Amino acid sequence: MSTRIALTRADWLAVILALALLPALYLRYWGDQGAATAVRISASGQPDITVPLSSNRRFTIHGPLGDSVIEISDDRVRFVSSPCRGKECVHSGWLAHAGELAACLPNGVMVSVLGRDRRYDSINY
Amino acid sequence: MNARGSLQWLRSRTLLVGSLIVLLSLALAACGRGKDPIHQTEILVFGTLVDITVWGVDDDTAQQATADVIKTLNDLHHRWHAWQPGPLTEINARLAKGESIALAPDQIEVIQGAQRLSRESGYLFNPAIGNLIALWGFHADDRPDDVPPPPGAAIERLVAAHPTMDDLRLDGDRLSSVNPAVQLDFGAYVKCYGVDRAIAILRKHGVENAIVNAGGDLRAIGRKGDRPWRIGIRDPRGTGILASIEVQGDESVFTSGDYERFFIWKGKRYHHIIDPRSGYSPDGAMSATVIYTGPEGGVGGGASTALMVAGPKEWLKVVGGMHLAQAMVIGADRTVYLTPTLAKRLHFEGEPKPRVIIGQP
Repeated sequence: MSTRIALTRADWLAVILALALLPALYLRYWGDQGAATAVRISASGQPDITVPLSSNRRFTIHGPLGDSVIEISDDRVRFVSSPCRGKECVHSGWLAHAGELAACLPNGVMVSVLGRDRRYDSINY
Repeated sequence: MNARGSLQWLRSRTLLVGSLIVLLSLALAACGRGKDPIHQTEILVFGTLVDITVWGVDDDTAQQATADVIKTLNDLHHRWHAWQPGPLTEINARLAKGESIALAPDQIEVIQGAQRLSRESGYLFNPAIGNLIALWGFHADDRPDDVPPPPGAAIERLVAAHPTMDDLRLDGDRLSSVNPAVQLDFGAYVKCYGVDRAIAILRKHGVENAIVNAGGDLRAIGRKGDRPWRIGIRDPRGTGILASIEVQGDESVFTSGDYERFFIWKGKRYHHIIDPRSGYSPDGAMSATVIYTGPEGGVGGGASTALMVAGPKEWLKVVGGMHLAQAMVIGADRTVYLTPTLAKRLHFEGEPKPRVIIGQP
């Protein structure tokens, strides 16, 4: 008698379906939940700009006080300069993680790092 | 078990396991495939960045509710702005002249609420010191870094005038002050009031699960589907997360810190929270957080401000006076002071874990 295990068609279907779903499930439940993928630049009264974090670009945003310069480089983003006086946006430095943001409130410009999923629903500060 | 029996056993087991995998996969994939019924709006309003998260309602409801909240916050921003000309600067101008002014019911509510909180805080939360805040240059959206602190004599003069919320008199709807030095600046208290109004509006639209976060101070209602809301509390230095907490039902998380609005002069940090007793910004704490369930009335803003002024030396007096079950103060040396109730549910992120001192009110 053969020791080979005969699988029914239903068995094969079950196994194939299970294997086919694995990659998607892996990505959803084991993937890097905080992965940063894109940057959103918002300015008062202007449409949002969303670009990949992997792009190496500079944006000049015209706000009520003047030009805010934002740089995206090496999967990070920062305010290079802004016409405000306190420069808190520039002092924020590089942002690289999903959910991080820096804003130049006087000039109405905000930069936020978007991600596939965030570890937190909201940040208290 | 004979060979035939074991073969059948294997076959049925394969079928069973295979079927289970498929069922489980389909169930999990179904969770993942459906888009989360979550709507998130980040907008510059109310003089800060407001983040409105709504869960579990259709697109139209979420959009209408959010738009209504934004409109209300815009109105409140104008109504309670401490230096841009509006209703509050009008009140302050009259009080400075020793005159009285008629108030609207919402203005009476806010002022009386602030009086009560100020008393409970032992007057460490003192929204009558608008003159001091202005002297320090914080009555500007954007204080320049290269302007020195005000002269000591000017600060002493304003402290000696001793303005408090108890100097105010309400005769019917008419407000006056027995001390012309009283200038109202509600700071974080009015932000808390705004967040409470925002939640009330969302509820009116049938939203039961939401977070309204105004410049870092937030109130969360309901939950995110089958789990509580996860809140990260930012480290007072840098952009990282110091601790996290899960909230649900109806809880507010309010923090005041020395990093929100500040300048550094000759190596020393000066920030926008002023100790009414000294006239200078306190340096005992980097941040102070309160968490509480339910009650409205701006308590979060008043309590976090008072805890910042109190610092690690006096924080327990504020905790007792304001009946705060859950409070945290982060000292200048990064020691974390916690009430027992908050210590039980707060989870510190990252390494090394800070030194924690649990204080019994």
